[in-house]
Amino acid sequence: MNYMVEVQGLRKVFRTRDSEVEALSDINLQVERGDIYGIIGMSGAGKSTLVRCLNYLEVPTEGRVLIEGQDLRDLSPRDLRRLRSNIGMIFQGFNLLMQKSVIDNICFPLLIQGMKKDQAVQRARELLKTVDLSEKERAFPAQLSGGQKQRVAIARALASKPGILLCDEATSALDPQTTASILALLKKINEETGITIIIITHQMSVVREICNRVAIIEKGHLVENGTVEEVFTHPKSKAARRMVIEGRDPDELADEETDFGKNSPAAQQGQDSVFGKEMDLLHEKRRIRIVYTKNSSFEPVIGNMVLRFGIPVNILRADTKDVAGVARGDMILGLPDDVQVQENMIQYLLDRGLAVEDV
Amino acid sequence: MFTKEVIDMIILGIGQTLYMVVLSTLFGYVLGLPWGIALAVTNKEGIRPNAPFYRVMDFITNIMRSIPFLILLILIIPLTKLIVGKSYGSTATIVPLVISAAPFIARMVESSLMEVDPGVIEAAESMGADAFTIITKVLLVEARVSLLVGVTICFGTILGYSAMAGAVGGGGLGDIAIRYGYHRYQADIMIVTVILLVILQQIFQYAGMFLSNRIDRRRV
Repeated sequence: MNYMVEVQGLRKVFRTRDSEVEALSDINLQVERGDIYGIIGMSGAGKSTLVRCLNYLEVPTEGRVLIEGQDLRDLSPRDLRRLRSNIGMIFQGFNLLMQKSVIDNICFPLLIQGMKKDQAVQRARELLKTVDLSEKERAFPAQLSGGQKQRVAIARALASKPGILLCDEATSALDPQTTASILALLKKINEETGITIIIITHQMSVVREICNRVAIIEKGHLVENGTVEEVFTHPKSKAARRMVIEGRDPDELADEETDFGKNSPAAQQGQDSVFGKEMDLLHEKRRIRIVYTKNSSFEPVIGNMVLRFGIPVNILRADTKDVAGVARGDMILGLPDDVQVQENMIQYLLDRGLAVEDV
Repeated sequence: MFTKEVIDMIILGIGQTLYMVVLSTLFGYVLGLPWGIALAVTNKEGIRPNAPFYRVMDFITNIMRSIPFLILLILIIPLTKLIVGKSYGSTATIVPLVISAAPFIARMVESSLMEVDPGVIEAAESMGADAFTIITKVLLVEARVSLLVGVTICFGTILGYSAMAGAVGGGGLGDIAIRYGYHRYQADIMIVTVILLVILQQIFQYAGMFLSNRIDRRRV
């Protein structure tokens, strides 16, 4: 079976008058039908270029992009345009036609494909219902909030019933609450229609919220990919560890680039400590990261552990939330100095279905 | 002073001026609009960049815009004769007016189209729109307010040029102002015609701005 989207050895070089910039280098990834695939990296990492290569808005310098097994290189301009109507796209800036009403914006891709106006309007109305904006049919984009504009853009992107939806920083211009509602909408659409969604973002929270697979892009290289569960529980690359363990969005790393980046991505995958200055101030020598997984039991684990051993632990960082009554997320603990107690505590946590690793 | 004859002459002048300006603007756009679209599309920031083509078009546009109108008026008399059959009168004046307005209009159109948000164009491309669709359904639609403001400005400029054409027997209010005001020292007639030109200018400016505000959907 073919992958929905497959990228092989993709390289993209931008040539300016007197220099060459390698935006992407040797990118390989596979997206399966129905995936919500996150591509995360800091700004300038090349992720926006990558997503534009997927529908050939940018033509790769080397390598191949296959959509359902079809190599985009082999397509005539006409066939490429036809294929693009099977790939919806939404943007950070919404990119709606400002001089057209909501309904006309949604009809636009359908009319391009030659659908009759009344049929297009009918389809657009269905989509407005899906994105919960039926009452705004006659409004113009300037009269809508950011979240509403993105809903219109989503409806427009879905109009021609595409098999793939590309989201280029689609929630980056929105506040956290609106972001959550847009992500919930994307998730709902994914579940209802089985559409494959590829999300470009610089926010780890977006990936954790809805993606099932993730790729981490750094300086034009793909440094790590896998299921979100995997990458979140056992991050291997330095970039992933920073994002996951320290809970930082990749953009926040920008000012620490010096020791980063000059090395090849392989060299960055060390087990060396990744802690920043704040953590060094704390005195615990043994620090562990625990991750609440699907198997974690329903109980106040840390509280019970402290009561059981009668020795306090230091919670250095906690990022958990309640999902259907079970804790999800991760924590970093500073353990007591006694080695035996440390081992007992770790065993206690493992017994309760938590993933534990030293950091 | 303002006998019936003079008043009739002034009314005729208003008619001639409107005739020249409206038709010149119209024909100016017939040439200038596709010309401007070609510039915007082949511009290096355009949807189909084509540096050699753009450079040639750009150069021609600049040359034509540099020729002073009065010189052009005389320079193209043979062409005017070929098209209209004579080289004086309001109809004949339309030829040089169109030729001098077209490159100006092309530039206005180019700059209006270049203002369209590249993100919106990219969105249309991502939907599989071809170049023709992007021009007709995205560029011209999204830029329509700016384009209409451009029409208003062109109209005003052509109105000014049409008065200049009076110097060589072009007819219209400018012609009256020069013949009576300048050659015969009848300052009152000159003042009246100038005031009428100012009023015409104001009316079209106001109407253009009013219309462009009306059709702008970016205003809440």
